[in-house]
Amino acid sequence: MSTTQIPVTVLTGYLGAGKTTLLNRILSENHGRKYAVIINEFGEVGIDNEIVVGTDEEIFEMNNGCICCTVRGDLIRTIGGLMKRAGKLDGIIVETTGLADPAPVAQTFFTDDEVRAKTRLDAVVTLVDAKHFPLRLEDSREAEDQVAFADVILLNKTDLVSPEELKKVEARIRQINPYAAIHRTAKSAIDIAKVLDKGAFDLQRILTLDPHFLEGGHHHHDHDHDPATCTDPAHDHSHDHHHQDHDHDHDHHHHGEVNPKHADDIFSVSATIAGDVDPDKFQRWITDTLRDEGQNILRSKGILSVKGAVQRYVFQAVHMIADSTWGQKWREGEKRGSKIVFIGRHLDAAKLNAGFEACRE
Amino acid sequence: MSTAEIKQPRVRTYALGAYIAGVAFTRDGETLAAATGAGEIRLQAVAGTKTVKAHDGAVLSFAAHPDGVSFLSGGDDGRLVRTTRDGETEELLKVPGRWIEVVGAHPSGPFACAVGKELRVWAKGANAPAATGAHPSTVTALDFSPDGSRVTAAHYGGVSVWQVAKPGERPRTLNWKGSHVQVRYSPNGRFLATATQDNAIHVWRLSSGQDMQMAGYRTKVRQLVWTADSRWLLSDAADCFVAWDFSGKGPEGQPPVEFGFGDGAVMTGIACHPASPFFIGGFENGGVRLGDLDGKRELVLREPPEEDGKPVRAIAFSSDGWRVAAGAEDGTLSTFDLKTA
Repeated sequence: MSTTQIPVTVLTGYLGAGKTTLLNRILSENHGRKYAVIINEFGEVGIDNEIVVGTDEEIFEMNNGCICCTVRGDLIRTIGGLMKRAGKLDGIIVETTGLADPAPVAQTFFTDDEVRAKTRLDAVVTLVDAKHFPLRLEDSREAEDQVAFADVILLNKTDLVSPEELKKVEARIRQINPYAAIHRTAKSAIDIAKVLDKGAFDLQRILTLDPHFLEGGHHHHDHDHDPATCTDPAHDHSHDHHHQDHDHDHDHHHHGEVNPKHADDIFSVSATIAGDVDPDKFQRWITDTLRDEGQNILRSKGILSVKGAVQRYVFQAVHMIADSTWGQKWREGEKRGSKIVFIGRHLDAAKLNAGFEACRE
Repeated sequence: MSTAEIKQPRVRTYALGAYIAGVAFTRDGETLAAATGAGEIRLQAVAGTKTVKAHDGAVLSFAAHPDGVSFLSGGDDGRLVRTTRDGETEELLKVPGRWIEVVGAHPSGPFACAVGKELRVWAKGANAPAATGAHPSTVTALDFSPDGSRVTAAHYGGVSVWQVAKPGERPRTLNWKGSHVQVRYSPNGRFLATATQDNAIHVWRLSSGQDMQMAGYRTKVRQLVWTADSRWLLSDAADCFVAWDFSGKGPEGQPPVEFGFGDGAVMTGIACHPASPFFIGGFENGGVRLGDLDGKRELVLREPPEEDGKPVRAIAFSSDGWRVAAGAEDGTLSTFDLKTA
């Protein structure tokens, strides 16, 4: 089914992070493919031969009682219009403004029938300005949201910072989003294969961006935490289970100022079960959890082992909009396990962990 | 007209090669025009067929011109173009960088198109358009009142009703939460129906402003049609013909009449016969069926292709009600001559 749907790449990043440069690179490369670009701010996108459409960001609430269910009306219209054009499109790139909330953009691709029939969200690609990101986190919620939503992060302008600064900023990104693929770049220079056609929202390919999704877990259990971090029990829990903790916790020890501690910081919570989950219990629990906490949960992903099933059960959601299916088969003799990750604000890690634990078969 | 009169409709199909954004007939019914994603207007008459390149990119919106002998097309090249049945084109408006996604006309003379959040309205006989004020969002649809004195724009949060003669005056607004994507007056002018993003239809009684909601559609409703007597409202977005009865107290608390359950495909386009409660439904699988509300039955006009049939969206009746044209996303144009008995 996905073969006939046009892949859509959403390009986000705060003002000055290098979106336009990346866009121009993608489009000027001699790839022989036809892209349409939807832009919300008129930068210096100077491409002949490509379709560039400027739209005003229009965020629409749905009338279905789901308060966080917002969509981008301008994207629905523009994609509808692009589908009328003669000639095949190989992809659509949506460049959002620096202040855009990625949630309505992503939700558009799951809620509108026509958009869903014709296109598929491929990945959210976020550019981060290595030099100014710590400042951005101070003054903008959007910069943090964009990182939290990302499937692929380009840590850009690495030529403008010292290796120590770079390490710090990467650790901070990891704290917000431990599972996105991070590429360090200067002047937005990157192999476009690392940005386009990633299939990040394709449940069948959920492991491709993070092949170690099910690994990690408990072996960092016993290392030190930043005292500031530990005052938040939620943070405490989330850190217990990340495989990326080691680096950034050490950083925090020496550079505590990198991690300004605000009550509404985004962080992630992951929970693992060494064995199988009961699919019915899980379905009930995740439905309730997303209904009650979906406003705070930006994204979630899970890979589950179900007793007797030869395939992995894969799950993902953007706020309250969830999707699940049977995925890749477990290999012969492979150690099976179940894991779920939530990225969001004000997450009650203890409750999420206990809830997942109760789904154990 | 009854289905008994329609024995073996004559069907012809043509491959236009690009998404058919709209179909319309001249008032005499002799010329059929189809507008495509390649920016072309195909003009088809007994005397011959002519294809005119009217736009640089795709045609996004299409309507019969009030003069009855030409057509209006809006494109993603930012132009509104009038094309005569002889193939002459005239640029009526050009707004670089904008898409003309919505166009509408009234047989008495006025016509309008949307440019972003505003309407541009041509009063009867006017050479240049007048602009309305800005709506809360980009305009998604427009319709003229049956007497041609008002033009109504659909947008986020409801609709705005403007006076054609005084587009500078504040509009009457009818509000309902959500994004409205279609708007149609009942022919008696008493009701205004909209389709909303969340798979529902909203209807206002214009005298009182009182409103009602009709939900439960399979997909987003894209097209709304009223019967000529204003009794019935139908739409696409279900797997059968769904008719709401506005006679008496109206449809509140009453289930709709549903008929013509075919192969389970969802309807993606609909048109109503100019006089009788007959409908042509186009379906997501490329099928076309005629629905007869009085007889509660349907007649297959075009079987869906065996594979890869694409949604039929643009449908029009000729003004005498005997000819029908249906255009699909893949460029398949079908014409049906119903008067073969």
